[in-house]
Amino acid sequence: MTILPITRSTATSGRLGPQPGEVIDRHRTLDFTWNGRVLQGHPGDTLASALTAAGERVLSRSYKYHRPRGLSTASYLDPGALFQVGDEPNVRGAHRLLREGDDVRSQNTWPSLAFDLKAVNGLAGRFLAPGFYYKTFIKPERLWPSYEKVLRTFVHAGEISPVPGTEVYDKRYAHPDVVVAGGGPAGMAAAVAAARAGASVLLVEEEHQLGGHLRWGGSAELAALRELTAAVAAEPGIEVMTDSVAGARFDDNWIPIVQRSLPGVAERLVKARAKTLVVAAGLIERPYVFAGNDLPGVLLSTGVRRLVNLHAVRPGQRAVVLTANPDGDAAAADLARVGVDVAAVIDARRGEGIVAAHGRGGVQSVELTGGRRVEADLLVTAVGWTAPTSLLNQSGDDPVYDPRTARFRPDPARLPDNVLAAGGIVGEGSTDELVAHGDATGREAARRAARVARRLAAVPTAVTTPRPPVPQPDAAPVVVPELVTPDHPELFTNGTGGFVDQCEDVGLKELRTAIREGYDSVELLKRYTTATMGPTQGKLETVNMVAVLAQATGRTMAETGTTTWRPMYAPVTLGALAGRPSEPVRYSPMQPWHERHGAVPLVAGQWIRPEHYGDPAAEVTAVRTRVGIIDVTPIGKLDLRGPDIPKLLELLYVNKWQRLAVGRVRYGVMCAEDGVVLDDGVTGRLGEDHYLCSTTSSGAATVWEWVENWLQTAHPEWQVHVTPVTTAYASINVAGPHSRELVGRLVEGLDLASEAFGYMNVRSATVAGVADCVLWRIGFTGELSYEIHVPAAYGLHVWERLMAAGEDLGVTPFGVEAQRILRLEKGHAIVGQDTDGLTQGFSAGLGDLIKLDKPDFAGKPELAWQHERGGHPRLVGLRPVDPTIVPPEASQILDRDGSIAGRITSSRMSPTLGRAICLGQLEPDLAEIGTRVTVRHPDGRDVVAEVTDPVHVDPEGARQRV
Amino acid sequence: MMLLPCPWCGPRSATEFRFCGEAGEAGARPDPATATPEQWRRYLYLHANPRGWSTESWYHGSGCRRYFTAERHTLTNEVRSTTAAGGAP
Amino acid sequence: MSETSEEPIARSPIAPQAPVVRFGWEISARAARGDLSLSDETPLAKVAVRAPFRGAAADALGVGFGRTTRTDVDGVGVGDVLVVGSGPGEWLVLAAPGRGPDLAAALTRRLGSSGEFVSVIDLTHGRALVRLAGRAAPQVLAKVCGIDLSDSVTPDGAALRTTVARVVTDVVRDDRGGPPSSVGPSYLLHVERSSGQFLAGALLDAGAEFGLETGTFVGLAGRDT
Repeated sequence: MTILPITRSTATSGRLGPQPGEVIDRHRTLDFTWNGRVLQGHPGDTLASALTAAGERVLSRSYKYHRPRGLSTASYLDPGALFQVGDEPNVRGAHRLLREGDDVRSQNTWPSLAFDLKAVNGLAGRFLAPGFYYKTFIKPERLWPSYEKVLRTFVHAGEISPVPGTEVYDKRYAHPDVVVAGGGPAGMAAAVAAARAGASVLLVEEEHQLGGHLRWGGSAELAALRELTAAVAAEPGIEVMTDSVAGARFDDNWIPIVQRSLPGVAERLVKARAKTLVVAAGLIERPYVFAGNDLPGVLLSTGVRRLVNLHAVRPGQRAVVLTANPDGDAAAADLARVGVDVAAVIDARRGEGIVAAHGRGGVQSVELTGGRRVEADLLVTAVGWTAPTSLLNQSGDDPVYDPRTARFRPDPARLPDNVLAAGGIVGEGSTDELVAHGDATGREAARRAARVARRLAAVPTAVTTPRPPVPQPDAAPVVVPELVTPDHPELFTNGTGGFVDQCEDVGLKELRTAIREGYDSVELLKRYTTATMGPTQGKLETVNMVAVLAQATGRTMAETGTTTWRPMYAPVTLGALAGRPSEPVRYSPMQPWHERHGAVPLVAGQWIRPEHYGDPAAEVTAVRTRVGIIDVTPIGKLDLRGPDIPKLLELLYVNKWQRLAVGRVRYGVMCAEDGVVLDDGVTGRLGEDHYLCSTTSSGAATVWEWVENWLQTAHPEWQVHVTPVTTAYASINVAGPHSRELVGRLVEGLDLASEAFGYMNVRSATVAGVADCVLWRIGFTGELSYEIHVPAAYGLHVWERLMAAGEDLGVTPFGVEAQRILRLEKGHAIVGQDTDGLTQGFSAGLGDLIKLDKPDFAGKPELAWQHERGGHPRLVGLRPVDPTIVPPEASQILDRDGSIAGRITSSRMSPTLGRAICLGQLEPDLAEIGTRVTVRHPDGRDVVAEVTDPVHVDPEGARQRV
Repeated sequence: MMLLPCPWCGPRSATEFRFCGEAGEAGARPDPATATPEQWRRYLYLHANPRGWSTESWYHGSGCRRYFTAERHTLTNEVRSTTAAGGAP
Repeated sequence: MSETSEEPIARSPIAPQAPVVRFGWEISARAARGDLSLSDETPLAKVAVRAPFRGAAADALGVGFGRTTRTDVDGVGVGDVLVVGSGPGEWLVLAAPGRGPDLAAALTRRLGSSGEFVSVIDLTHGRALVRLAGRAAPQVLAKVCGIDLSDSVTPDGAALRTTVARVVTDVVRDDRGGPPSSVGPSYLLHVERSSGQFLAGALLDAGAEFGLETGTFVGLAGRDT
């Protein structure tokens, strides 16, 4: 961190004497810097309260017009207090607690906060009309990069460090009986009541302490808070999460909770599955829209009371208070108590009002209705409340506007059984009434949770022991007392101007212009003007926007409606959503050896495999001339047991399986019901009712599910047990002319002579002292080869013994790349590489394998029709006329008229032939051997290639049958 | 994320399951010996996609690895009945 | 270990700490100092049984889907075994290291007499098995497993299959088999062998904040000894 040796400010004139509910620790002082200047605050201060205490009034510049802005809500939502702290942009300055050494900066002000050149936008404001971006920057498109650059320097947002962060993010699951979202009086009471009824409870509070509005109240509120705090602490069944947000409510009460302020963890996402959810989110105070409402010094009553009572900070010297409710009155009283000169209290309930706030860089005077001007540096407004109903909306309850109480209100009757609402979000009341409401709601939540628990327990695997002290689920519903909300005047805007959305800098006049232009539905108005789309996401602004729209269109607020409250309730970092990124990976038993011997790793699905050990071409040559070994453990293996296996195999494969003798292996291909090639592999018969079926590595999981589907849903009467044994065996393919010699040196009790153990046979034997190894004589590489399946714990042992025993034979480990070349030389197609999601069986070179005379098998009708139709693409070999050119895979093959007639599916330089070879899918009229076709590279270059047999090396198969 | 009540394991998060299409009449496999292309492709590709109750096939791949059918309301995600493949429990 | 050792050594997929060879397996020698430990139990014999969900074979196994029981497969001298009802019509039977073939043979004999369609497969090599034990074990597991691990839902003797760190896992609560030095819940986690190293790593990562340590092989007797 840079140490900035700038002047030390000692002015803390804004700090008041001790307050009864203050949350700061006056015994300790924290140093921090504000735009490089060293200032002091106390533990418990937010960044914004410390700055206000230090006499700072202008904390930021606005988004579009770069107007000076100060505190308004003094809470998480405050649009005037978004800071850059060190590397971290967009920090909620009125929420984040001050730490020693914080490097706090105002965002995107240039050259300085006090003198921001970009504020010229404000003077030229008429050029930033609503839809300005759409109208101005839409054309010409090629200029977008420069537009972007210009706009970015004017945007009010922090800077992200290009260096990856070192913060740790985390996740966990939780299964509380009850989640209580909101830790005010009702939420605390609900949590205590639910816990006393035996429920496990997560009590989630966005702020740093429980208590909600009690915290900034008077002595009665503080006494109630102490009592509730003690009651919460006394319940071991309550887990309290402060500085945490229940971000959303999804199906079946799946509730993501973002936890902050944890030791060693930047943020943790708690994935809670709550049996019941109690939404006790309280109320959010709504700003008032009037000319000058964004001047520093215009604060909401709750903002003032937070500053005074929680942080002992003087918000101004001389105040005008506009009040329409008891909270406004209390703010005036708080200010008077701490010695702020309250110049005027304007009571909206008596029809009094204000016209505008005036001043440069801050409030200097307030113009009242009737024209009188009062000098003041602080204007406090208390004009009403918004119920933050997001979680209720997401539960199916869309709130409806109630003109009597001047707010959109939820209706608990519309909520599903497992969601309840408590406290201020439902209605107002005294502390006792709110606590009683929370208490009853909490008891009811616990009762319903017990009912859900009983339902969850009604499964075959459930434990029969009853849960200990949960309430009787059959008990009668708890009667929840009603909260009677007093009438409240409807105060949204006085029509003189000002900003509706201070995050996005959307003014009253701009909204009206947009409505005149035809954007007269609330969703359209939002998208066109971006009002409510800033960091506060409409929590302060939406209702005022609705009011402006209702007034302009002559509709009622209820008719106008509101926008949808979507998840998440509060912004969540990508880190919290990602958690600790860790994708499962799978390793073969020989992985330690591969790592020690320089294998280049290849990620194949979840598997980590050796791609090669340095020189794949040399590995190919070793296999063709001596002997090589490859780790093929990922090949899928299914152990099949039971008398009905032949019936199953007949159904799964396109070829015939009835007469496979014990000890024999057969190659088979599976097609899906649409005739498209699904998978291939060999299956061997190990015993009378015992088979081992192999699949491709990538297809193992799919094939298993598919087989289970046939067995469970189509043929439950068949007696077949399928067990995946892919990793029960370490699979090693020993390939090359010396493979018989090498395997012979380690195998016990098995005659490897061709007559005794011929091509396409399977045997069990002891290899290198390991019993029960399964050996197949098969050959994907085209060489004499033995695939040894070793009980997996001994895989490394056998691999090491093969390497040691074959040293004089020149045994060479080979990787996936050499295997790909070897099989391409041999013309073996790979499902998913030489076929795709549209390749039906007859296009995959399987014509001889597909037995349409079988009564049934998966995909048979489609394959029969494909055969009947003809004219389908073919799998062919291709050789570029220039042997040095390897056309990249997926190069197009062109028809004579230039249209696409196929593609290269596999291509490599063949070390054995010393030339480029390919496989491809090609239209039938070009598929005749000897045809010359044009291959277009992805870069547009054309080369000529000749169609050949798919088998490039040893077409007679002599090498593998020896 | 919704819970899906596996007839064997009880309610589990939907991510433990794979949706395998409509079951019952809609998902029944025609007799391959007599099916017309139209019938076969209806079986492969056409679904009723009702707005309301739907009988579906699910596979509990991360749990008991059993297939079952569920009657699910596609609007509310309510599941009113499940049937394990092959009978029981 | 020498690369040319002629004596076969069985190896777990999970890299051992301070490896020693016991009963033919390479295992971690280092014991955990604290209460919370993760031990590699892969050497235990692991036999899978498939049989009808209800019937004589199921009765003979003594436990249904979702629960475990400790029993003695009589007459074969394999000693105590843990029978886990791991799925509908599926059982996992665990026994001391090296006893897999004997156990499979004994189970085949015993269940074969039921006349039902039964199969018995020794999967000792095909699966990895770890034990997570200690007071904070449920909290560690709750970071990577979405199942409700509270005593009322997943008590001692419960068995279920779900994902742990995105890997499909048999979760078996077996407190009695926990290491003698520990108290609290003990979970056996049983996965495809090739996922063993990943699972162990994910659990150690999840458990770091609780002080999770690698422990030595415990076996099945655990707190009985």
